[in-house]
Amino acid sequence: MASLLNQIGAVTALNVRSIPQRAWMSIASIVAVALTIAVLLFFLALAQGLTRTVEGSGSDDVAMVIRSGSNAELNSVVSRDQLTILSSGPGVMQRASRPLASGELLVIVDGLKRSTNTKANMPFRGIGAEGLALRRGVTITQGRMFSPGSNEIVVGAGLIREFAGFGFGETVRIRGSDWKIVGVFEAPGTVFESELWADVAVTQSLFNRPNAYQTMRVQLASPEAVAPFKTWADADPRLQGLEILSERAYYARQASQSNQFIVIAWVLGILMAIGALAGAVNTMYSSVATRSAEIATLRIIGFSGWAAFFGTMVEALALSMMGGILGILIAFVAFNGRTTSTLGSGFTQLVFKFDLSPPIVITAIVMAMVIGFVGGFFPGIRAARQRPQLELAAQ
Amino acid sequence: MNDRALMWKNLWRKPVRTILLVVSIMIAFLIFSGIISFNIAISTFNTLPTRMVTLSKVNFTQTLPIAHYERIAAMEGVAAATHMNWFGGYFQDQQSGFLPVFAVDPETYFQVYSEDLQIPAEQREAFFKDRASMLVAEPVAERYGWRIGQRIPLQSNIFTNRNSGNSTWEFTLAGTIPTPQGSSQSGSVLIHYDYYNETVTFGRDRIGWVPFLTKSADLNDQVAAAIDGRFLNSQDETSTQDEETFNKSFTAQLGNIALVVSLVVGAAFIAILLIVGTTMALAVRERTKEIGVMKTLGFSSERVLRMVLGESMLLSFLGAVLGCGAAAGLLSLASGGGGPPIYFAPIVLVYAAIIALLLGLVTGLGPALAAYRLSIIDALGRR
Repeated sequence: MASLLNQIGAVTALNVRSIPQRAWMSIASIVAVALTIAVLLFFLALAQGLTRTVEGSGSDDVAMVIRSGSNAELNSVVSRDQLTILSSGPGVMQRASRPLASGELLVIVDGLKRSTNTKANMPFRGIGAEGLALRRGVTITQGRMFSPGSNEIVVGAGLIREFAGFGFGETVRIRGSDWKIVGVFEAPGTVFESELWADVAVTQSLFNRPNAYQTMRVQLASPEAVAPFKTWADADPRLQGLEILSERAYYARQASQSNQFIVIAWVLGILMAIGALAGAVNTMYSSVATRSAEIATLRIIGFSGWAAFFGTMVEALALSMMGGILGILIAFVAFNGRTTSTLGSGFTQLVFKFDLSPPIVITAIVMAMVIGFVGGFFPGIRAARQRPQLELAAQ
Repeated sequence: MNDRALMWKNLWRKPVRTILLVVSIMIAFLIFSGIISFNIAISTFNTLPTRMVTLSKVNFTQTLPIAHYERIAAMEGVAAATHMNWFGGYFQDQQSGFLPVFAVDPETYFQVYSEDLQIPAEQREAFFKDRASMLVAEPVAERYGWRIGQRIPLQSNIFTNRNSGNSTWEFTLAGTIPTPQGSSQSGSVLIHYDYYNETVTFGRDRIGWVPFLTKSADLNDQVAAAIDGRFLNSQDETSTQDEETFNKSFTAQLGNIALVVSLVVGAAFIAILLIVGTTMALAVRERTKEIGVMKTLGFSSERVLRMVLGESMLLSFLGAVLGCGAAAGLLSLASGGGGPPIYFAPIVLVYAAIIALLLGLVTGLGPALAAYRLSIIDALGRR
């Protein structure tokens, strides 16, 4: 066994040292693997960033109320009466003897996407007085919060980065009224950072939707309080037709959109891997061919066929790993952490960051190794099966 | 044996290598033609230069009062105008049964979109006459197996039907609209605005947007300015654009698709360029001795150059043809499922031919020049 390992070590060293002889072919297969991995990572990191942002937006101890069957806030309806009833439900937290609840109305307004210079849908959310308190992790970083009852807007930092038209201090005219942008808020890693917030009552009146709410958020004492709250609401005939779930569960449901990017990632990734594989196999066959004399010599002095096989295999794996690492480096430099936006499930733009999390990087490494393994397997068998006398005679 | 036969023999002297190269070239062309066809499908629409659309300036999801439509129709330079509402329709299941249902004013809608609404006169009349009827795009009717005359319950995820008290409306299928690629009606379901308007519990007398035809495309800017000026400083300010600009900005909402497409296609082609280029160089280097023999036999340097270049061209076009063929096959298979079909775009063949030519040239030129310059003495002396 030890001698086989020694043999493998010797043949591997021989192989690896001869890589420079096939420098261009080796580089070609490294780059092909690298590009494959980079494309795979691009779409996986896109999907991951989108999922993280959507899923990261909800709290466990906030109950979200929507109309049953509404797949988006836009077509949900919650009446003012229902809002009042729900505010007095069991487990609803109070602040200064007022319930921590917020009835909200989401409308869409146009912004200008900076990268393409085209109009895009911005979520304009009217929130109640407690709307800010209900969302932990939101901080006003510039200016101040809007004052209740006024035409003032605070804007998410993500939205400002990607879209023009809602800069701090600017005045925008919407439906015949001037709105002033009085503040910028940060809510890292959540969908809220791509939103505009204003007072819900003002939003209702200026968008001609008197007393109309779409959703309601209620701060409960603990995550465990969501179930009793829901049971209580389901029993009340005045609250029929409403669905109650934790805010986290609501956003988890919205995150399925990123599945389409995962499908694209694997379709393109596997296709390109097959292309890269062709390069790897060719490189390895030519590696075996150019070293046939050396392999034959080694076989004659007693090296086993396994040593020849593993030597080829290790070389193939080394090349594809180099490609994999290069691909991961390209991904980190070119797009990791970069901000982008797409049309989210709520029919409004959602700003998020490419997210190369460790599981994705491991997936990429496994993919590179699979390419190396398959790429080295058949050439390895050829190396192991060479008949030494014939090879030497042919020289 | 002529040169062509010799080229073909050279190409297949190492069949495994050649097959691998053809496969990798094929894959690059498969990715290329698939992605480009997809991009063309989502960004090409049959547009008329004179067709424009007026929307709410706030966003196209904000509604406008019906009076806007009447004013626009009466504007100077407007040949015909109609209006549309988003119904939020679906059939049976909200996720999988999503349908772009529009409440329209039938007669004016047929004027504005006449070129995409070539349907039998009796179907058209049936639709015009029955307020509770609908027209659907052919693929939609096929997908659900709906027959003309059948009553179909559709649901709305926005509106409530006053008559039934729930979100269901029943419509009689009056006819189907053929939708070739790029048709403005692809996937759509048309219902009567009047019927919709009388039965909804809220949002009455509001319309989504106003498509209209101008008398001449030269008047477009003037008409747009006149319309938007007419509603300036009102509660419902408008934004008027030509159809193409509107469609483009709608697609752009998804993201910078053009950039992603060029990056992916670029990555695929750079990878195969390197693989094919280095392998061709190796293949010619392996044949050094042979080339020496050929030159000794009187093959001119030019002829040798042509043969090597021809071989790389052959390889490149073989892969391109197979790749485009595979893409066309896969796209037609995929269009059997749900969703709008994506057709293989013929223009892709032109691009593919140009790329194959360049690929063959770039990968073959180096080795061909090396073979061209090779002297007999070096060739036969090299081991």
